[in-house]
Amino acid sequence: MTPSPTPSPTTPRADALLRLEGISKTFGGVKALNNVSLELQAGRVYHLLGENGSGKSTLIKIIAGAQPPDAGQIIVRGQSYNQLGALEAIRAGIETVYQDLSLFPNLSVAENVALTTQLDLNGGQLARMLDWGKVKRIAIKALERVGLPTHAGFLAAPVETLPIAVRQLVAIARGIAARASLVIMDEPTAALTQREVENLLLIISSLREEGVSVLFVSHKLEEVFRIGGSVIVLRDGVKVLDGALSDYDETKISFVMTGKQLDQTTYRTGQPQSEVLLEVSNLARGTAFADVSFALHRGEVLGITGLLDSGRNELALALSGVHPATSGEVRLEGSAVQIRNPRDAISLGLGYVPEDRLTEGLFLTKPIRENTVVTVIDTLLKGIQLNFAAMTAKAVGFVKDLQIATPSVDLPVSSLSGGNQQRVMVARWLATKPKVLMLHGPTAGVDVGSKDALYKLVQRLAEGGMGVIIVSDDLPELLMNTDRILVMKKGRIAKEFTTADLEKDLLTQTLLSEDSSAQQ
Amino acid sequence: MKALWGRVSARPEFITLGLIVLLVLGVSLLEPRFFSPQNLVATIRTTTRLGIFALGVLLVLAAGGIDVSFTAIGVFALYTTTTLTLMFFPTAPFALMLIVSMTLGALMGLLNGFMVWRFAVPSLIVTIGTQYLFTGFLKTFVGTKHIMDIPAAMDSSGTASLLQFSTADGVRVTLPLLFLVLVVTAVLTHLLLTRTLMGRAVFAVGGSSAIAGRLGFSVRTVQLFVFGTAGLIAGLGGMVHGSLNRLANPSDLVGTELDVIAAVVLGGARVSGGSGTVIGALLGVVLVVLINNSLILIGVPSTWQKVVIGGVILVASGVFSKRSGA
Ligand SMILES: Nc1ncnc2c1ncn2[C@@H]1O[C@H](COP(=O)(O)OP(=O)(O)OP(=O)(O)O)[C@@H](O)[C@H]1O
Ligand SMILES: [Mg+2]
Repeated sequence: MTPSPTPSPTTPRADALLRLEGISKTFGGVKALNNVSLELQAGRVYHLLGENGSGKSTLIKIIAGAQPPDAGQIIVRGQSYNQLGALEAIRAGIETVYQDLSLFPNLSVAENVALTTQLDLNGGQLARMLDWGKVKRIAIKALERVGLPTHAGFLAAPVETLPIAVRQLVAIARGIAARASLVIMDEPTAALTQREVENLLLIISSLREEGVSVLFVSHKLEEVFRIGGSVIVLRDGVKVLDGALSDYDETKISFVMTGKQLDQTTYRTGQPQSEVLLEVSNLARGTAFADVSFALHRGEVLGITGLLDSGRNELALALSGVHPATSGEVRLEGSAVQIRNPRDAISLGLGYVPEDRLTEGLFLTKPIRENTVVTVIDTLLKGIQLNFAAMTAKAVGFVKDLQIATPSVDLPVSSLSGGNQQRVMVARWLATKPKVLMLHGPTAGVDVGSKDALYKLVQRLAEGGMGVIIVSDDLPELLMNTDRILVMKKGRIAKEFTTADLEKDLLTQTLLSEDSSAQQ
Repeated sequence: MKALWGRVSARPEFITLGLIVLLVLGVSLLEPRFFSPQNLVATIRTTTRLGIFALGVLLVLAAGGIDVSFTAIGVFALYTTTTLTLMFFPTAPFALMLIVSMTLGALMGLLNGFMVWRFAVPSLIVTIGTQYLFTGFLKTFVGTKHIMDIPAAMDSSGTASLLQFSTADGVRVTLPLLFLVLVVTAVLTHLLLTRTLMGRAVFAVGGSSAIAGRLGFSVRTVQLFVFGTAGLIAGLGGMVHGSLNRLANPSDLVGTELDVIAAVVLGGARVSGGSGTVIGALLGVVLVVLINNSLILIGVPSTWQKVVIGGVILVASGVFSKRSGA
């Protein structure tokens, strides 16, 4: 053990992998972290939980050396630092899968996975030859582990050409490519479907067996309890709980996180009306999906799920006009309609909240106000001028309704935490007062408290006569909110369930069955 | 068709090559003299001069920056080295002169790199500033007169031939030895960019310097290296330029930087950084040189050449931007 250069008052426990002492961080008046101390042991899984904006990612960036703390000490294997450099953290065996992925869009998959292992190997020195053979071998090994293809074409593909779920897996592959002693994963499952999540859970348990510690962040408590281990809860930047997960259950943890009693087992309140609102017949698009027919009634909440290659994403994109269907028919309120582009969809009253808020929608550097009202900007004109007061009023209304945590709608969306950004996206589409609202992964990265709020909102909308379609991987979410669930497989609707008496295990089985051969 | 498009969009230099082929075919139909050895050698001479600079520009673009001071650095290094040689060591070997010129260039490049890193100012602004600074310094403190009477080693290297022959109508055609400087520099730059950790770090920083920093790359080292090397290459390019023209003119080059940057962009390097290849940059230079040459040959006024190059850039950037949207 190396002697610590700045001896700390308390003697570090010999087996502590990492200790934080009194870490604080403030962003322009917002105390993101307030005097947080914690200790991680080797070979254990820790769940870092908390509401959106509670400081999880900030804490992670400080451990990973991506951001310096304002105060406090970071002690890695007995060596104490006021702040870690990114390279120091990596050399200390800390690998991080960032919430924003932090992949190089222009570099290949192989390089994104394995380049940093080479940097680490050379102690950060850049004046070194690159061993491409080694880079590829390391990349292939890690990609295999996360279940991605390993052929030359995929290795050489620039990351910017990949869909978001695949990028997430590439980021995870980078995290496990090096021999780390601590792997941090900041919401790695937010963009993954059931199959990849199952695989990730396997990876985490094998890391644990190899003696590697994992710091895991997720808003899906179900996953958290399946993995098990220790739990650390942050609330408004303060550590409010640190203990063994087995001492708690979902309701208790939610209470610690939010201060609210969230023990609802179902949210579905209303009943679908008899009138068919949207009818889809034999819809198809290329090789993505075919023969898709279903009806959505007024006031109904319909769930659609499926694995990554099931065609459910493409179906959602077709109904929203982003990638229109190539054949088939869509009828809205009884009359046939054409959806050739997103504008068609909007003017017909089909609202679509996309899955990937960062690349498909939000203007990160623009204020929350503009981001919220952009879809209805034409109704907010005063002559030829924008009615600023009306814009602000509308945006403030949504901020209240959806409980978006921000001091002002003047702030850019980038200042919000991930979950709050998601809510801005929902607000934007609610502003268009759609007849049918399609929510694609609506609570990916959204905390339990806000999920609660969002679900209640969905039910309110349905009771008001809106038809709601939720495309999601979060099975509990579908079970708690919908009337019916469609399971898609290989581009077709494989099964339809009535939600009321459906068991979750049956849904999971249906989702994963006959699927081992379909892996890429 | 789709597979072909996929291949082409992954390797934008194919588009550049395609444009070159189209241009050559088109012009040779209009003007058979296009295929003459004289024209070929003239093309190679100009390509040598612009190509060396283009390699430095490529490095900076790949790292997400832009450098408009390299012409000023080239002229500064050329003129100062020539002046110093004539003053102190008129019989100096050419290699020594190259070393002096490249060292001067590297120092000026490092100044660019330091300012870009230290003050986090966009490199365009920094290098516009240093372009004025270097040119002004040169003309104020070093000299303003043309030097026709260049050192002997420079003269002989500039005129030395790699290949020499007479055409059927008795014209002597010389392929300059200095063409090899371009070849060697290009090979080295290619190896640097593709085979070294530094090369990949350059693209990583060009992709996103924030992410690169967060993953442990030293953004400062990369920036100093990139601008320093671009300066070194500009010093080399300046000296080769002066030797080929047998003239050291303090008002030379500056003002032509956009031609070179345009050529590199035509070779597939994105102005937003993080992409580009040596082969692409060189093809881009050849394309620009060919457009200039052939337009002269078929009698298009020189003012129109700029219009054509501008048009080609617009079309090519349209094609290139499509590939990123795929
Ligand atoms: N770069 C920044 N500039 C300004 N404020 C910031 C910055 N980064 C974080 N914050 C603020 O710090 C607080 C904590 O943010 P953080 O991203 O750590 O939350 P989180 O717990 O990861 O949330 P989520 O679950 O939504 O990802 C939030 O109020 C956020 O708005
Ligand atoms: Mg976060």
